[in-house]
Amino acid sequence: MKDRFFWKNFIEKISKKFTHLDFEMVALENKTGLTRFAESTIHQNVEESDLELSFKAINGNRMGVVKINSLDDNVLLGSINKAIELSKIMPELDYPYHCVEPQNYYPVNSFFKDTAQLSPMDRSRIIGKMVKKINQMDYDASGALENGMETMVVANSDGVFAFHDKTKVDFNCVINKGNSSAYRSLISNDINQLDFEKITEELIDTARMNVDQMEIEPGTYTAILSPDAVAEVLSESDYAGFDGKLIEEGKSFIAGKQGKKLFPESITIFDDPFHPMTMSIPFDFAGYPRQKHSLIKNGIIIGGVYDHFTALKHQKKCTGNTLSPVNASIGAISFNLVMQQGEDSLEELLKSTKYGIYISRFHYVNLLDPMSIELTGMTKDGTFLIENGKLTRAIKNMRFNISIIELLQGVDMISSERHVKPGFVGPVVAPYLRTNHFTFSSKTTF
Amino acid sequence: MRKILKNILDYLELKADYADVRFVETDRETIEVENGALSSFNVSNDRGIGIRVLVNGAWGFASTNELRKEELLRTAAQAVEIARASSIVKKENIKLSPVKKYIASYVTPIIKDPFKIDAAKKIELLIQATNLMLKDKVTKTEGSLDFWKTHKWFLSSEGSEIEQSIFESGGGIAAHAIKEGEFQTRSYPASFEGDYATSGYEFIEKLKLSENAERVAHEANKLLMAPVCPEGIRDIVLGGSQLALQVHESCGHPAELDRVLGKELSYAGGSFLTLDKLNHFDYGSPMVTITADATIPGGLGSFAFDDEGVPAGKTYLVKQGRFTGYLTSREDAVKLGQKSNGTARAENWNRIPLVRMTNINLLPGHFELDELIGDIKDGLYLDYNKSWSIDDRRLNFQFGTEVAREIKNGKLGKFYKNAMYQGMTPEFWQSCDGIGKEKYWHVWGIPNCGKGQPGQTMHVGHGTSPARFRNIKVGASR
Repeated sequence: MKDRFFWKNFIEKISKKFTHLDFEMVALENKTGLTRFAESTIHQNVEESDLELSFKAINGNRMGVVKINSLDDNVLLGSINKAIELSKIMPELDYPYHCVEPQNYYPVNSFFKDTAQLSPMDRSRIIGKMVKKINQMDYDASGALENGMETMVVANSDGVFAFHDKTKVDFNCVINKGNSSAYRSLISNDINQLDFEKITEELIDTARMNVDQMEIEPGTYTAILSPDAVAEVLSESDYAGFDGKLIEEGKSFIAGKQGKKLFPESITIFDDPFHPMTMSIPFDFAGYPRQKHSLIKNGIIIGGVYDHFTALKHQKKCTGNTLSPVNASIGAISFNLVMQQGEDSLEELLKSTKYGIYISRFHYVNLLDPMSIELTGMTKDGTFLIENGKLTRAIKNMRFNISIIELLQGVDMISSERHVKPGFVGPVVAPYLRTNHFTFSSKTTF
Repeated sequence: MRKILKNILDYLELKADYADVRFVETDRETIEVENGALSSFNVSNDRGIGIRVLVNGAWGFASTNELRKEELLRTAAQAVEIARASSIVKKENIKLSPVKKYIASYVTPIIKDPFKIDAAKKIELLIQATNLMLKDKVTKTEGSLDFWKTHKWFLSSEGSEIEQSIFESGGGIAAHAIKEGEFQTRSYPASFEGDYATSGYEFIEKLKLSENAERVAHEANKLLMAPVCPEGIRDIVLGGSQLALQVHESCGHPAELDRVLGKELSYAGGSFLTLDKLNHFDYGSPMVTITADATIPGGLGSFAFDDEGVPAGKTYLVKQGRFTGYLTSREDAVKLGQKSNGTARAENWNRIPLVRMTNINLLPGHFELDELIGDIKDGLYLDYNKSWSIDDRRLNFQFGTEVAREIKNGKLGKFYKNAMYQGMTPEFWQSCDGIGKEKYWHVWGIPNCGKGQPGQTMHVGHGTSPARFRNIKVGASR
């Protein structure tokens, strides 16, 4: 992996070679390994070394963008010349453009040597140990364990030079026997934060409960959502509702609603890069510092997140949420969603529920209506009936059609316990929550 | 390049029981225009080599973007090391179904190389189309074009040497009509950025984006004022574009043999088309015949050889309603005592081949569109996908469409908005009692089929003509 000094020299070399050229550059270099297992066998096992370099030549209000994955001189210089050539013939943007000026970044440590050094054999041994225990309980295991390191460099001709390296470990596992199944996922910068023995026990406990599933009728129920399910709800809401580009175009449910109280006092959601549970990067893909930003505070809509381009176009402030050049046309997404915790334990959420449904996980969630953030999807790997404060029966999977606005408006309890789960861009820090408004629309057969 | 890849195979000769090496170089050009102004014009070049080996009966795969000799040999050695690591958690040795040795080359037949068309001309096409849509007072208009040129080499330790150059072109336009608290979208020629094909720029010219722009914008406004689709049990006719996604989700994915064998259980899910159902299960009505065919000229899932060096072919997945076949790789076909039908595809050099769709096609029937609609007293015509979701065994599905038209006494009537329909896969296909003639048949290109960990996006095609389904649950999102 190339270090800070390599990239510093690289930028200087470009600046010397192409004097008077305004440019922006984003480089992502990664080394990643992933071991996949199914039916208790490792069936896919891969390692990858790659680089993605996006170079934007800026010619007043015109620009040319090229992306390459090789730093060979002939490829690199040819591509920069291509970007310059394109910047001369492109139509002008319909708003005045300028690069980000040099910024200060809050230092973040997200590189962990043990994670970077985890070898394919280490991954096999971790998986082998889990699989053995799960097989002893007569279940099969499927899943993936991924580890890797990534370097992110953002630079421009106005003097921005931002360098960050990080590691990541991502694990998911389903265990099953017939229709009995359970799922867990973990994500962290640090392999030492993952407790594989604990997760194995949890998987077996859940799967043992998830048997003899009964059917229930579609309808609106009180439901307790696990952090996996909550993370999905938050990610979809953020994508469809809090992107500044959608807000400016009038295509978001929060357009014109900033400052209005739409949700209970207990609902507070941040994009918080410095939360102790999250996985941070110090800057966005334009070179803006990442910042803590309220999306919803005490039930009141505060505002969305803005990327560099939408901010310039609509004369707004960039919130440090610019996406990678490949995804730039989407607008902005929160990198570090965090939902404020409540005061109750999961046991208290359950105990105080007379009749309801516990949802472990969703499957194939899709947006039906962006203005109400109405979602559809299925439940999966453990849906349970709650009766008189206890999980009493497993339930067959159900389809839900539900507005996230109504779901959040119905929230009356939030757990103090939170977990880190994968999100669309970065991780999501999510609690358990209880809502009195969760609508199932149809059933399936298992 | 052939020599570089051969050197890698030579290095692996005594270290692996089987090896294949793939070089892939992709040039891509993406153009996006919003409201008559360019929003992005991106060009990219991406290349690298992936090395797959079988050692001790287990797979190892390593890949690199650096083409220096020492880096390639390091990567090859790493693939062997990974395979050894895989072999400590296995139930049985992996076996591969046999495939002949091929020395071959293939280039997508094209008339106009999209990378040689003047950039200004391509941008102007989108500016013109998006401006034309704005004339109808829609608030937001979008247009995009996308081109790929993928040059691939495949060499295996069994002696195959295959070179392919695949050209792909696609694009589309969309109009968003917005009023307070609501927006409606109409797209052309299909939703989610249009239609795609293995073709040159001639495919874009045939789309006639500008010629359809004003109609599309008009329909977006019309939808905004339209009533919400009423709930109920109705007979429906699905247009070809929506039917393409229905085939994709409810036939293509469940017929992937790796899903059936549980290899995707932790991510994409399983399949209801379990092994006991092969040749014994009524998937649909006798009218329903579905093929996987990678040989269709222009199909987005067309090629000469898959990424295991198996020739492209045609397989019947469903024949006159009966479930008859799976999509297979060399490794999975062995489980059925079969040979691979050539559907193992890798997104790029840094991904392994997985069982993927090629062109999955509902074969045409004998009905005029007027006849399909004419035999419905009270129903709906639905087309252009807006949302999709299906359970992890591919049974319970729900689709939303941009357009719904009332059908009353055999005639198309008013527009409805926010329509969706729901069902269970076998019951749905068993309710099919009419499929449009060949003249309505079109192979729709879908460039964003996702599968696998690490994720792989695949380009696939679906040949469909409009079809009729009886007694389907319909309703509306809000």
